[in-house]
Amino acid sequence: MRTKGLTLILLLLAFQFTIAQNPDISGFARNYTGVLFDNGDFAILQNTFNLNISKMGDRIAFKANPLLYHYNGDSLDLRLRELYVDLYFNNFDIRIGKQQVVWGKADGVFITDIVSPLNLTEFLLPDFDEIRIGVNAVKFDYYFGNSTFEVIGIPVFTPTERPAAGSIWYKQPEFMAPATFDWSKADVKPSLGNSELFVKYSALTSKIDFELMGGYTWDDNPAFHVTKQFDMSTGKPVLTGLNITPEHHRLTVAGGAFSTEIKGVVLRGEAAWYNGKYFQSESPLAKDALVKKNYLHYVAGLDFNIGSVKLSTQFIQQAILNHEENMVDEKTENTMTFLARYDMLRETLHLELFSYIGLTNEDALIRPKITYDFEDSFSILLGSNIFVGDGKGQFGQYKGNSMAYIKLKYSF
Amino acid sequence: MKTLRIKAIAFAIIFAGGFSAQLLAQETARDIIEKVYNRSEGDDMASNLTMTLINKSGSERVRKIKQFTKDFGDMEKSIMFFVAPADVKNTSFMNWTYDDASKSDDQWIYLPAIKKTKRISSDSKSDYFMGSDFTYDDLGDRKVDDDTHTILREETIDGVDYWVIQSTPKDEDYMYSKTITWIRKDNFIGFKKEFYDEDGELLKILRILKFEKISGFDVITNSEMENTQKNHKTKMVLSNVQINTGIPASKFSERMMMRGL
Repeated sequence: MRTKGLTLILLLLAFQFTIAQNPDISGFARNYTGVLFDNGDFAILQNTFNLNISKMGDRIAFKANPLLYHYNGDSLDLRLRELYVDLYFNNFDIRIGKQQVVWGKADGVFITDIVSPLNLTEFLLPDFDEIRIGVNAVKFDYYFGNSTFEVIGIPVFTPTERPAAGSIWYKQPEFMAPATFDWSKADVKPSLGNSELFVKYSALTSKIDFELMGGYTWDDNPAFHVTKQFDMSTGKPVLTGLNITPEHHRLTVAGGAFSTEIKGVVLRGEAAWYNGKYFQSESPLAKDALVKKNYLHYVAGLDFNIGSVKLSTQFIQQAILNHEENMVDEKTENTMTFLARYDMLRETLHLELFSYIGLTNEDALIRPKITYDFEDSFSILLGSNIFVGDGKGQFGQYKGNSMAYIKLKYSF
Repeated sequence: MKTLRIKAIAFAIIFAGGFSAQLLAQETARDIIEKVYNRSEGDDMASNLTMTLINKSGSERVRKIKQFTKDFGDMEKSIMFFVAPADVKNTSFMNWTYDDASKSDDQWIYLPAIKKTKRISSDSKSDYFMGSDFTYDDLGDRKVDDDTHTILREETIDGVDYWVIQSTPKDEDYMYSKTITWIRKDNFIGFKKEFYDEDGELLKILRILKFEKISGFDVITNSEMENTQKNHKTKMVLSNVQINTGIPASKFSERMMMRGL
């Protein structure tokens, strides 16, 4: 609460300062209402006010992007998507402050795009600009020819945000015995030694665009260290409870991405190697019910047109190397995405179908939507999020959360 | 987000500048069109573009763009920054086009909402640009020998003499079955161009309403494309045109796409 109050004061000061500087102001106001198919309950009742305030000079620029979410019951959630200063030099730029960083060539999946953590409190449903969390960082970009060398230092680790208990997106983990959580190690103490470092070399050329990246980071998702409690009173050990201590661990990541066009088809690829990631294991030999494994995550995709219909498809695989039988996660998990988009009526009516298809668990998230621009500043979107599956898999687990929704948006 | 694919808007098809009226009587329709196409454009250009989309009921929607173009010898680079409407503001688009006809354009779009520069296919030349009546192909460079050209007749309109030239595409699958262009004899500037659909019916008419001499180059600054079948049109106005100002090569980069105006 105190932090939000300070943020509000800073925003007001920044707003006052920037108004005096004749800044560029844009943004949107949006109403978003969703209804669950199963029972007619409102899945979401949300009003959003998004404000972009920026001012750019030849050598310096400034941007603030607060988002105010208003939920049913008059609860307010003020988020600061970005607040940074840019310094421009001949061959390099420096950005200091809260910022969102987007890397990679994949759409809708996060492989090398791991600098900004995610807000998954509404699963993967929010627009991708709202799903990323801004991080306080210093970003340095050095430019030479068509290439860029980028270094990002993040002094304070920010983890992925998960749905709170009570949310329709919260899924209670299943345990073999009553579990007690110890959150004392869940936070990473802000210090120089605990900061994160990312580097990227990228080039945009006439033949191919590519990126090579590396990161010394923290796993955004905490590992659950599990210790078991047994009752020995009967002479035979009987499991009576679990002590679970969530803890983030260091992760070293290396990866790359590319995109190129071949005869009108854009071919994209992206891969990342995660060194020493913790996974849950049910093996009695696994210390704290965890094993440390290397992990590969990659995607290959195509973008193409048939007539005026824009199409895109991707194949994604997550593979745990040296997989063991008792690990909770599968050795590989395969997913596909599919996107079709068609604009009509002089680009005032937009039809879109996007879907994730889980090949491993035979589940899916299907997202049809239709958007009509009443005028340039006002649009109405009707859509649906349809979860398919038998309760397993990252999409099938939400089979009761299929919904229809409407978004009314005014842009300025 | 709307997909945007286009070169800097320069009206290559219907515009000529820097040529004197020295066409000999025996020269052919192809020679005339070649003079129209192979115009001198300057080494670089910056301008503001305003497109007004007018539907059949008369209501208007406005798109505003800031664009930069530079000739690099064997290639031309252009970059556009979308200023209005609000939902596409700060979107930018970059195109590299090559003199080598066998090499297709390279195109990228930067979407500020998702902070991502994406390579896009240059394969949809028949799509309409930002909901206007101009297709991407209408606005780009068409090669002289993509069509067979014939002089239909000569006309005098308001005391000005014109050639009326029909251009028929060699590619049978092209979106137009033919185009007919009125070209001024005195300066090789187009006056009007008619576009016919695959059934041979008149589809669209491009009218040049104004051209200006800027830094020694004739530049079309006001034009209009009317779809006669659907009864809507697009007005296009070019303003603040600056030619040969020495735009740096670094302007045409991902860095500038992301930075914006």
